[in-house]
Amino acid sequence: MIIEDKILVWRFNRGSKDAFRRIYEKYKDALLGLAITMLRDRSLAEDIVHDVFVSFAGTVGTFHLSGTLKGYLLTCVGNRVRDCNRLKSERDIGPNFVDAIISNSDGPMEDAISREESGQLQELLARLPYEQSEVIVLHLHHRMRFGQIAKALGVSINTVQSRYRYGLDKLRSIACTSGDAGTGVNSGVTK
Amino acid sequence: MRPEEDIEKFVRVRKPHVTTSRQMDKRTLNDSFAAMEQIIQAKQTKYKPSAPRLIIRNRITRLIAAAAVIIVVISLFIFYPDSDEQIDAVIASISTKSPAELLTVASLNMAYRRGGIKAVEQQCEEAADKLGPQPAKITVKELLAKSNGT
Repeated sequence: MIIEDKILVWRFNRGSKDAFRRIYEKYKDALLGLAITMLRDRSLAEDIVHDVFVSFAGTVGTFHLSGTLKGYLLTCVGNRVRDCNRLKSERDIGPNFVDAIISNSDGPMEDAISREESGQLQELLARLPYEQSEVIVLHLHHRMRFGQIAKALGVSINTVQSRYRYGLDKLRSIACTSGDAGTGVNSGVTK
Repeated sequence: MRPEEDIEKFVRVRKPHVTTSRQMDKRTLNDSFAAMEQIIQAKQTKYKPSAPRLIIRNRITRLIAAAAVIIVVISLFIFYPDSDEQIDAVIASISTKSPAELLTVASLNMAYRRGGIKAVEQQCEEAADKLGPQPAKITVKELLAKSNGT
């Protein structure tokens, strides 16, 4: 996986459009998923992913990959989402959020359930501080290690771990106080 | 299951599965390719390849350039006469001159430049040899007249 990315980056640095297209195809959905989860606005999320890839294309010939390519791109999206969130005054769920999620499930029933479940999570994440929800999403949805997240965000690993821990505690607390209807989270664990 | 695992599982299974639209793919790829082209063209115009840079950059061209220099130097050694031969040629041209021509200021000056005071002395001796033996009581005026062939 990493070797494939290294080869793709090597080819991209030599101006290969096919390599760039392959990188885009490989990570576009993950990046859009992160942007939508953090931003809850599909059109804004699409703009952010677009901008990230255009900026990345601008580094052709000089791009140097130190960690993983996925980690780098996720960090770029995360940084842009953070900037966007600073500008946005309110963090309510956008009107087109549910439409933003296109499920890979087989039937319309599963599709509806998946949308609803994702919507529940967005509602909960929206109540967390951005830094905590960012760490939770990067770790649990995108399987980034705490060390990778710390490096990407430019903070210590202890900070990342504490953000994660406090974020989970708060999530659990919110889920329980809001009646945990449909969340499936054990109400007895509220701190 | 521990409560921590409980909430982690809750978050993990609710990961939204999103796919990009074709329109977005097209727009992003087109804009990205345009950005790539722009950067590549800017680099090409910035670093216009010059002959010395091309020679230095490539190992093969460096070797070819070094070989060419060696060939030129060797051919110069082969086709150009040695310095001794050059001196012989000059002496040969001198030997055809009359004693008066050998003793002109210009001729003596050239001899000095060629080989210093030794060359001047050699040229004077040459002129004296050409003039042949003279009586001991000859005046300078008579000697000059004889050297001029008058």
